[in-house]
Amino acid sequence: MNKVKKHSFDFIIIVLLLLIAATAVFPLLYVLSASLTPYSEVLKNGGFILLPKKFTLAAYNEILGQSKVIHAFGVTVFVTIVGTFINLILSLLMAFPLSRKNIPGRTFILFLVVLTLLVNGGIIPTYIVVHATGLTNTIWSMIVPNAIAAFNLLIMKSFFETLPEELFEAARMDGANEFYILYKIVLPLSIPVMMTIGLFYAAGHWNEFMQPLLYITDSSLFPLQVVIRDIIMQTQDQLNNPDVSIPTVTIQMASVIVASLPIILVYPFVQKYFMKGMLLGSIKG
Amino acid sequence: MRSRFKQHVFLFVIIFLILSMVLAGCSSEKTDSGASKKVNSLQIIETGDHLPPKDEDIINKKLSEKLGVNIDLSVTASGDDYKNNINTRLAGGDYPDLFSVIDHQTLQQYAEKGLLLDLSAYKDKLKTTIDFIGEESLKKGTIDGKLYAIAARPTINYNTYWVRKDWLDKLGLKEPKTINDLMKVAEAFTNDDPDGNGKKDTYGISGGQLNAFAPIFGAFGVGMPGDFYVKDGKLVNAYFDPDMKPALSFIKDLVSQGVVDPDLMANTGLQHQDKAFQGKVGIVWLDWPNITKDQFVKQIKEANPKAKWVQIAAPKGPGGQYNGSWDTGATPAIFAIPKGLKNDPKKLDKVFELLNYVSSKEGNRLVQFGVEGRDYDLKDGKVVTKPKLDEEGGYFWLYQFTRRPEKEYLKTKFPKQQKYITFADNQPQIQALNSYVNIPDGYNPADADAFAQQEITKFIYGKRSLDEYDQFLKKLKTTFKYQSYLDSAKKQLKDLDLIK
Amino acid sequence: MMDLQKEKEIKTPVSYSSKIRRKWRDIWKYKAMYLMLLPGLIWFIIYKYVPLYGVIVAFKNYSLVDGMIASPWAHPWYKYFQTFFNSPYFTELLSNTFLISFYRLIFGFAPPIILALLLNECRISWMKRWVQTLSYIPHFFSWVIVYGILVAFLSQSTGLINHWIVESGGNTISFLTSTHWFRSILVSSDVWKEIGWGSIIYLAAITGINPSLYEAAKIDGANRMRMIWHITLPGIRNIIILLFILRIGHILDAGFEEVYILYNIQVYPVADIIDTWVYRTGLQQLNFSLATAVGLFKSVIGLILVLGVNRLAKRWGGGIW
Repeated sequence: MNKVKKHSFDFIIIVLLLLIAATAVFPLLYVLSASLTPYSEVLKNGGFILLPKKFTLAAYNEILGQSKVIHAFGVTVFVTIVGTFINLILSLLMAFPLSRKNIPGRTFILFLVVLTLLVNGGIIPTYIVVHATGLTNTIWSMIVPNAIAAFNLLIMKSFFETLPEELFEAARMDGANEFYILYKIVLPLSIPVMMTIGLFYAAGHWNEFMQPLLYITDSSLFPLQVVIRDIIMQTQDQLNNPDVSIPTVTIQMASVIVASLPIILVYPFVQKYFMKGMLLGSIKG
Repeated sequence: MRSRFKQHVFLFVIIFLILSMVLAGCSSEKTDSGASKKVNSLQIIETGDHLPPKDEDIINKKLSEKLGVNIDLSVTASGDDYKNNINTRLAGGDYPDLFSVIDHQTLQQYAEKGLLLDLSAYKDKLKTTIDFIGEESLKKGTIDGKLYAIAARPTINYNTYWVRKDWLDKLGLKEPKTINDLMKVAEAFTNDDPDGNGKKDTYGISGGQLNAFAPIFGAFGVGMPGDFYVKDGKLVNAYFDPDMKPALSFIKDLVSQGVVDPDLMANTGLQHQDKAFQGKVGIVWLDWPNITKDQFVKQIKEANPKAKWVQIAAPKGPGGQYNGSWDTGATPAIFAIPKGLKNDPKKLDKVFELLNYVSSKEGNRLVQFGVEGRDYDLKDGKVVTKPKLDEEGGYFWLYQFTRRPEKEYLKTKFPKQQKYITFADNQPQIQALNSYVNIPDGYNPADADAFAQQEITKFIYGKRSLDEYDQFLKKLKTTFKYQSYLDSAKKQLKDLDLIK
Repeated sequence: MMDLQKEKEIKTPVSYSSKIRRKWRDIWKYKAMYLMLLPGLIWFIIYKYVPLYGVIVAFKNYSLVDGMIASPWAHPWYKYFQTFFNSPYFTELLSNTFLISFYRLIFGFAPPIILALLLNECRISWMKRWVQTLSYIPHFFSWVIVYGILVAFLSQSTGLINHWIVESGGNTISFLTSTHWFRSILVSSDVWKEIGWGSIIYLAAITGINPSLYEAAKIDGANRMRMIWHITLPGIRNIIILLFILRIGHILDAGFEEVYILYNIQVYPVADIIDTWVYRTGLQQLNFSLATAVGLFKSVIGLILVLGVNRLAKRWGGGIW
């Protein structure tokens, strides 16, 4: 009896997961197939193709054949790696003290942080500050103004709060200073968290296009998203322009794949740390 | 008590930090601003796409060589993004040296706010440019008697109805000449299975939202909703045109017959073109480039070898025969120079030199057709394009700051499409004056437009009875202050001598 | 003992200064902690707090030429707030914004948690990995592309689903242009797009739960439902509360980009939200004062809600501070 119940529980979970996977798979399949099918074939099938019958890499060749795409890819990779690294260091340095409940002024600083999530000065004053600090038209304009995301900081802080204070007290007794504790105790215990927050930051950098549009005019500094947007955009006012060649759905979907595949591939690596990320629990136990 | 004290101490620390940071911020502001601009380079921004990297940009190379200055052109793909971008930069005091202005109303706003350089005093220096764009375009860049921008040479109409000839033939129908014919054809396309697949899966008419009905409004002698135009010697606004109601009533009939693409109002970009090419609709309101350029001819043929599209003249109706309306005040491009450049006369002269050069015979040919021997050959003084132009010439127009002699340009660049170009150009159109009208204070065009468009859509889709049309107008005039807009438009157009 | 206590009572005024001293000693004791906070705080001040001076344009007739400081004050000071409140669309905007946001909260908040729990309970590891990866991919599609996908599936003239409906003898449904369907489609696309991405944070939180708790429960004979309810959920409670509070603070952000891309004139009555209105009325017409005023209005509401909910949450042992 109990065994049946146990199995039915697993069964329900599997069915639900398969359902969720299916809702994700169909649209993905559509995007992938549309990017691999000649456009005339898409038209013939009433605009909808789930599995390509004819197969072409023409769209990918066209996108990846542009030197600016490759260059922009480099820019994005740089911004993502360096940016995420800076993000993690700064967030870690802030999240740890803020997670310790006995620090005077903690509440006030936390309030300051939360406030920035709710109120902002708007794009113009932000632009003025970015310009005044000499960042416009440099690659740093995509890194420094995003150095911390209050949201991610709060999540990280919330994770650190679950670390027991006794752990640190013991180290302090041994004469360890706080930086040592952060580096030698907190960090190793927080690998899954750091991976998760790192992924959030990395995805944020990868997808960002509003800031480079505002802050960067030198096209050699454009990141992938801006260049891809340039390829797939159909502006109403340019639709009538006989000189412009309008991108087909094939091109659009291929650029989506090109623009998102690299960051999607990051996840399986992060995932590994969720599987064996039981470190914290084992120490506590 | 204790925790409050805790807070006080900390507040003090924080305020100290803030102050020191603000000071640091201010001082760095002083050192960094101004140092960012290099001498001998011109920064230009505009909307556009597919600009190649500089080292692959032959036009940039030639222009830079000719003018002895680095040209830093930067383009933004979407108009909305561009607007955001330029506004922020203007507000941040980080001006480009030459930039495009999206439309006449934005130009008005920039000029009123004192952001633009008054070019009136430099007319001599801009002679080549001014001669090139012509008297009419000069007016479009003028606000309150001052020349604030260079409006490019006008373009011509590209749009017409396109009809599936093979469907007409199959069903034994003729090309529609009147709106009643159009209705019959649309019905047949919907109900009589023109593609012969045995399914009722086709529709009569499609297009980009209400534009799909442009020639129908025209057939009633009405402009597009919101248009200003002169009728029987008097200024009329389309909403208040007495013929608007019958026009809406006719369109409502079309919709209720189920012959109109049901997603019509959600069609963005070129979705209607897609549906046409898929063989879902038989009549589509489209511009010739998007149906007759080689790329599309090939697509149509590969998707369905039998498909044959023909251009038709605007159908006749009780109000005449007009292929929609044409905004005479609109221009394909407006370029302005920020006020601050006055203090840098050398750079300003370079900008003028650039504008003059792309307006001169030699320079304009460069930005139209590229480099002789590479992109085109000259035969008896005439330009004959080479395949290279098709390959790489897709971005040349970005450098046509004052644009081009439209008809000759199209003739040379699109010889195969000549027939369609002339046909569309020769269609009679209602001459609308919208772009000359600026928004008066206190009138909120966004709310009024949203309201009017919603109600018009309701009338067309039978969600609101046309008997209530007058109530709609009344609400538009009062609640949404359209009356003040109408009055102001009349006055403005009179001041411009565009109406009596 | 008694004496000591008495002494304390008498010396209250003196002990105030000693309290200050103790406070400074406390701060000095944690100096390393403050040193850690410093770089981040400096960053927050420069890039988040200095630009805050921009909110003053909500009370000014902002002109791009004069700049934020020199622009003249609006008269009356609440002029731009009034424009917003007096718009004929104010109630419609507010209720649409609130409703869409509310639906997103109701239907969007729990699914990532449930997915995380399901994934955690799944014992087939390859399946776990695949479902996780697949479900998080849509997060990386921009709304323009999601709209393209929606059109492909839902368009009344060409969409796959309507094609099926017709094949099976039904009448086509105007998913994209009907006021009945708009919010459902908007919210479900949003849930679809973010469910996998949203579950990552909870999965990470679950890894922090002490496995010995499960062992002990197993020995006590608890079934898996009970373990989810009594161990897993309480283990990620802090994160749930945190995310919920932050979400509440943004109740008036109904998602500008998705609405802007998905809506059309026919669905305005149910789709037009504060942000799309501000975009058309404020930003598109260079009326930055109006845009800022509305932004400030939203911030104040958000702030009040966050303070309130945080206070409530603290009673439950959660809360941000």
